[in-house]
Formats: sequence, C-alpha cells, structure tokens
Amino acid sequence: MQSYPHIETDLLADVNYIHQRTEIIQKLKNTFLSFGYKEVYIPTFQPYDLYMNMNGTVNQQEMMKTIDYNGNVLVLRPDVTIPLTQQIALSQPKTQQHLRYFYILEIFRQAFEAKGSRENTQAGVEYLGNATPEADAEVIALSIQVLAEMGIQEAKIELGHADFFKQLTKALKLDHTQLQELRKLIQTKNVPEIEFFMKTLDIPKDLKEIVLQLPFLYGAPQKVFEKVNQLKLTEAMRQSVTALEAIYDNLVAYQVDQHIVLDLSLINHMDYYSDLIFQGFIEQVGKPVLMGGRYDRLADEFDANIPAIGFAFDLQLLLETFANQTKVEASIDVCLYYPKAAMENCINIAHTLREAGLQVVLYPDDTAKEHAPYAKYLVEYTADELLVNQTAYKTAEHLLTYLKKARDTSWHK
Amino acid sequence: MAQITLALAKGRPAKDTLALLKKANITFPDFTEKSRKLVFYSADQSIKMIYVKALDVTTYVEEGAADIGIVGRDNILEADANIYELLDLKLGKCRFVVAGLKEIPLTKGSHIKVASKYPHVAKKYFAQKGIDANTIKLNGSVELAPIIKMADVIVDIVETGSTIKENGLTILDDVHYISTRLVANKASFATKNDEIQQFIGDIKNILVNETEA
Repeated sequence: MQSYPHIETDLLADVNYIHQRTEIIQKLKNTFLSFGYKEVYIPTFQPYDLYMNMNGTVNQQEMMKTIDYNGNVLVLRPDVTIPLTQQIALSQPKTQQHLRYFYILEIFRQAFEAKGSRENTQAGVEYLGNATPEADAEVIALSIQVLAEMGIQEAKIELGHADFFKQLTKALKLDHTQLQELRKLIQTKNVPEIEFFMKTLDIPKDLKEIVLQLPFLYGAPQKVFEKVNQLKLTEAMRQSVTALEAIYDNLVAYQVDQHIVLDLSLINHMDYYSDLIFQGFIEQVGKPVLMGGRYDRLADEFDANIPAIGFAFDLQLLLETFANQTKVEASIDVCLYYPKAAMENCINIAHTLREAGLQVVLYPDDTAKEHAPYAKYLVEYTADELLVNQTAYKTAEHLLTYLKKARDTSWHK
Repeated sequence: MAQITLALAKGRPAKDTLALLKKANITFPDFTEKSRKLVFYSADQSIKMIYVKALDVTTYVEEGAADIGIVGRDNILEADANIYELLDLKLGKCRFVVAGLKEIPLTKGSHIKVASKYPHVAKKYFAQKGIDANTIKLNGSVELAPIIKMADVIVDIVETGSTIKENGLTILDDVHYISTRLVANKASFATKNDEIQQFIGDIKNILVNETEA
C-alpha cells in the first residue's frame, strides 16, 4: 500500500472544526475590540538576527529558517512580541501614549521531539506605555472576560513575579548547574527533592526557609500574602511581593479575584519578563491556555524605554475545550434544485437570495438527490414556481418573505 | 467537590499504595489485582482511579487525562515530563546506580558505552559528569550487557544490590534515590486545588503517624 506524506491535523479540511474556530476568533476579536485594543499584523518572515541577538527568548533550534536570494537567513514568525516591540521602539521611541494592540496570528516553531504541531495560532494582546498595576489588572481582567464570552466560568489565572525567583537565586549565589537544578525542582514543586537539595548547600537559615516554603506559596492570594510576609525576604524580593499586592487590589476592583491564584514559584522560560508573570488554566485542558507577563526592559534592546505587558492564548488548546461538545453545524441555508432549461432564471433567483444574506448552493436536478449538500431548506424549481415544504412561491421575493419569517420564528430560538 | 482522576502504576507499588490509601479511608471496593477492569471508583466516588502501566503514568498526568498519579521516581526521571512532583510516599525505596565489571574511572572527558532500561536518566547523568556516553536501550536483564562486552557499564535500579553482585558487577556510583511519588497535572493543580490538597493532606497525616509510631 502506498504511504502518504503526513499532514498536520489542524489543517485538515474539517469544516465544522474550522467553523467553530472562526466563531471563537470572532469572539476573541470582539472582546479585544471592546476593551479598545486595535488589531495589528506582523509579517510572517522575520530576520533571524532579531532573535539570535536576544538570549533567553525563543530557542534557536526551534525556529523554522529559510534563506532569501541575498543569502539572508529569515525565520518564520516564532513570536509576535519581539518584532512588535522593535517596531514601536524604532518608530516612536519617546512615546508617552498608552498603546493597546491585539493580534491573531500563526506562530511557527518546531519542537525538538516532533510532538506538537509546527504551526500554532496565538491570539494575544500587548499593552505598551503603561507600567502601572492598573494596566496589569486590565489585561488579566481582559483574559478572563475572553474566557467568559466563550462560556468558560471556571478559569484560574496563576500570578507570579519573575523578579522574585531571580532575586532569590541572586542571594543564594548558586553556580550554573545548581541553579539549573533548583529551577527544575521549583518548577515541579518537588518538595521531597528540594529538601534533599537544600541539605547539600551551605546557605543562611532564612534563605533556606524561603526556598523550602516556595512550593507552598501557592493558592488563594490573601493566604499566600500572609504566609510570604512571615518570611525574612530580601528588600528586592519584598518589592516584588508588594507589586503583586497592588495588582491584586486592582483585580478585586475588576471583581475577578475569585479567578486568581498566587504562585510565587512560577518561573517563565522567556527571559524578557521582568515583573508580573501569569498563566491561565481551564477545566479539561491539561496545559495553560494562556501565558503572559510584563516585559518593561525589552524595548531597551532597541534603545527605547517603553514599559509593556502582554499575553497570548493558544487557540488550539482553547478549541480542545469544545471538542467534546456537540459541534455547531456549519450548514448552508438553501439548496436550489434546478432543471437545466431554467438555469439562467435560477442563477438570478440565487443571486437575489444571496443579496439578502442567505447561503445558497445551486444543484442541477438531473443529478442524484442523495448526493446533494445538506441545507436547511430544499427549494425545487418546477414550472416557473419555487417549491419548498410543499408550498409554491411565484418569485424569489415571495420565497424570501417566507424564509425570513421562518428564520425570525425558528432560527433564532 | 469535583471528582479527581488518579493514575496508579500497575505492579508492586500499587499494592503498597492501596494499603496506604486504605489507612486514609480511601478504598476502591471493586478493585482486585486480577480484575480486567481498568477504571475503579473510590467508595465515596470522590476518586476515579485508572490502573495503568508504570511507564505511562506521567504521560496520562502530563496530558491531563489524569489529574494526579502515583508512580516510582525512576519512571518520573526517565519521562522528564512537565508535571508537579508533590509528595514522597516513602514506598518502594531503591536507587539508580552505575555498575560495571571492574572499577571504571568515571572521569570528565572520557568515553563510555552504557546499557540501560532508562537511557534518558543515563544520558543526563553522564552529561552532568562531562562524560561522552553512548547509550543502548535494553528492556530487561541489563546486567548481561557488561558481561558479554556490549557495554562498559549499566545504569539500573537496585534495592539490595544482590543481583548486581551475583553477576559479578560492582557498583561504581549512586545516581538518584528512588521511591514512590505523587505527581500532579499543572492545570489540575490550579483548577482542582482543593481536592488535590485534600488528597495530599490525607496521605500526609498517615505518613506522619507512621513515622511517629
């Protein structure tokens, strides 16, 4: 038997899947727009050097590279935040304005062990020019609003602070290998192994206690703040806790605090995050459906000083939640059977119906009816009349009146 | 409270784990080791247990098909999955060791041929030591590899070390200590935190009582 080349499943021509995807994108767009965010586009091809010169962002091996006729290496857009920040930094380096942008774009990365898909759609926002906790709370509230619009009420957003762990490790004075190991243990909340690891280190008791407590600095914000404030933090660590407290107060004002979980052991692999980091989870999906954070220092790379915060949804993961639900049928409105002789007349009728906003297909009546596409209404053209549900209509306009009436009473139940 | 799904590793750790859970009043009335069923419910329906191969537990948990899992650390280290490792059940204690026919110096910059059921663990260990290791994946009787000169050393689990000795091998280094662990999916930990914390708390209480007794 012949074997066929593998294609990525997300691109399969599953019309119901695509229909659902389009509906979700529409909801995302509407919610982003309702908060005053404007859509932007970032070209698919980006210079490889843009990412090469920035450590701790996108893994260079994961990027899809290509070469143009001048021999320049380009990559297929592996992220949106970096090129967008560059563009803003170069075009308006001194901006004092609050800039709210959103995008729904494909991101290309190849995983080392071809586990995931190479092409993923991200729906994200970037809010530049505002470094206040109000801005942080706004984008988090926006992410929760997006999920609510999709009917997801049980979302949880985990908040952490990138500088908290950075400052802790700075105080611990670990070597590279030790740091890597501790990072891994913290990310897996590996309580037994953290205890074991700390026994091998000669560090002050107060710092040791903070590390041992890290996995437990998780849960309802009030309780976590209480716990962390009992620890002997360094001044810099204290500042990141204070920053989170201010953000949380604003989230209470947005009345979304029931969705918030604090996780002081949260670490993001994107090095450009400088302050708040967060990720969102929903039921039935085993991975974070959204990730984001504040990246106030990223514009420095392009000689500008623009604070910013952003996040992105993974669209495929969002769609997973709806996988078990009955799909909304992507059906058409009218299938118009026509005899060959009346083709021209039927094309005009179809045109009238389409102008009125209906989805219409034409179907010659000398073809077997069982192969016809599924439509809400089957209309037969016979003897200068349009027959639908055993009733005849003289003209397209008459038919339209009937269909509109039917739609008003039944389609919009 | 929502129901949580627990992936339990088949085999030796399962028996000890279920005995431990029983002490915490978590029982699975339908469960017998010989049952062909793969899904069991706790007496109060709060836990749905799926009974799966030890190697697959971390996969079920990482993918979110199970909220939590109970499995040996050997499998956790080999899978290197993106999950939480929250609790040591202090069961099935053993260790990963490097063993060989004779004293082989494990020095930086040397080359070595390793046979193991756990190639990922072996590779990582030698990489950290700065040793260039060529790993061969075997599925059993790993001790044979040095004897027939297919490999210089093996990385394997030992409990007492008697199998290693009987085959004329010497333990050269300890790699990791191993015991049965409780792991959790990162999303479930956020969305079902109360339920998971409750489960951990129940087990912890038993473990504390046992160490005190």
